[in-house]
Amino acid sequence: MNAIEITNLKYRYHDGTEALRGISFRVLPGECIALLGPNGSGKSTLLLHLNGLLPDKLSGDGAVKIYGEPVAAQNLENIRRQVGLVFQDPDDQLFCPTVAEDVAFGPQQLGLGETEIAARVKKSLAQVGLAGFENRATHHLSHGEKRRACLAGVMACEPAVLVLDEPTSDLDPRGRREFKAMLRTLPATKLIATHDLELAVELCARTIILDHGQIIADGRTVELLSDEKLMLAHGLERPHILHHLHPH
Amino acid sequence: MGAHHFHPPGHGHSALHRAPAGLKLAGALALVLTVVLLPRSQVTGLLMVAVILAGLFVVSRIHLLFLLKRMLLLEPLVLGVAGLMLFQPGGGKIFAVVMLKANLCLLTTVLLANTTPFTELVRVLQRLRVPWLFVTTLTLMHRYLFVLADEAERMRRARASRTFTRGRRFQWQTLSSVVGQLFVRASERAERIYNAMCARGWK
Repeated sequence: MNAIEITNLKYRYHDGTEALRGISFRVLPGECIALLGPNGSGKSTLLLHLNGLLPDKLSGDGAVKIYGEPVAAQNLENIRRQVGLVFQDPDDQLFCPTVAEDVAFGPQQLGLGETEIAARVKKSLAQVGLAGFENRATHHLSHGEKRRACLAGVMACEPAVLVLDEPTSDLDPRGRREFKAMLRTLPATKLIATHDLELAVELCARTIILDHGQIIADGRTVELLSDEKLMLAHGLERPHILHHLHPH
Repeated sequence: MGAHHFHPPGHGHSALHRAPAGLKLAGALALVLTVVLLPRSQVTGLLMVAVILAGLFVVSRIHLLFLLKRMLLLEPLVLGVAGLMLFQPGGGKIFAVVMLKANLCLLTTVLLANTTPFTELVRVLQRLRVPWLFVTTLTLMHRYLFVLADEAERMRRARASRTFTRGRRFQWQTLSSVVGQLFVRASERAERIYNAMCARGWK
């Protein structure tokens, strides 16, 4: 069964902007996919759909399915349990005063018992390399730590699909490197919207390129990113790292 | 970082800092109620409260200058209320007593706020079964006050770096547009936070 199945997804904002014009693709369990495209191409809007976060789009038309289950008003709880969304601005996501409380938020909403919650907090903080940060105030973390805390909060719900919106933007090179190494260790199916082309090459075997709300290309990352003409036409570029993968 | 200005210095170093938050909250409430309920003629009673507070201040090891700054910040409010008393006959004495009372209450809350982390106070409120909506709102407000303050500071700096005239009128115009922008940004952020909460199962 497909982890994510999207069929002819269209979306128009209230002001008339057409954000998505007929998107279709499938993701198999365990895949790691990079979602590339210029600013305003519809990446973030697409990600919101995976969690049913656009209320006017919950008619249950079956355009978006998670493990065969259509994203609709009546099964949002189950959908959000399966799909973990990591937002672009960590300050939006860390809404609790301390790291431990924030990571515990999801499990609490799932109605888990206290010992189970404590165990999950500990486990997910260790997973993202923030063991011992339990009682730190969320607004006093560095940007990189905030990113990790966000991820821990989502991992604590143990989602089958992990959806990340520009996870490495605003990180320093070391933060970026460490974040990528950590992402690689997570077993979930991953869909990563990003401008970080190196991340796409290093982590994702498959890439989908989005522009003007349409899928321009969907294929092997190395092949797509080596196509200089394609990349330049959609606000991207051929990443340097490819030169090292295929020395001339 | 602007946000750090909100934080009490010398955090957790005195006996008062270490005292349980519930005890401190109850104590503060008792002191404030005493001050409010004491009749105006009972100046000795008020002075006793003042002595207690002075004692607590010494124990708390908060810097005097820091404390005065905090008090001064809220003084306009106190003056505004007490100032009204001056308009009635014999208002001078009433004014003095009201000033004393208001400042004692203020001192109590400043001492409480600067020796007790906000999160602990919220936890006490939770335990007292204060309605969850109120507690959640309070928690979110405290959390995003820092974010908003940082945002305002960044916007102010960005504006200042491109402000070349020093006309006062222009400054007011700038301020009003910053405030407006901040409001728009805050409401957009609220939308995103709500999304993030929903994404993790908020019902």
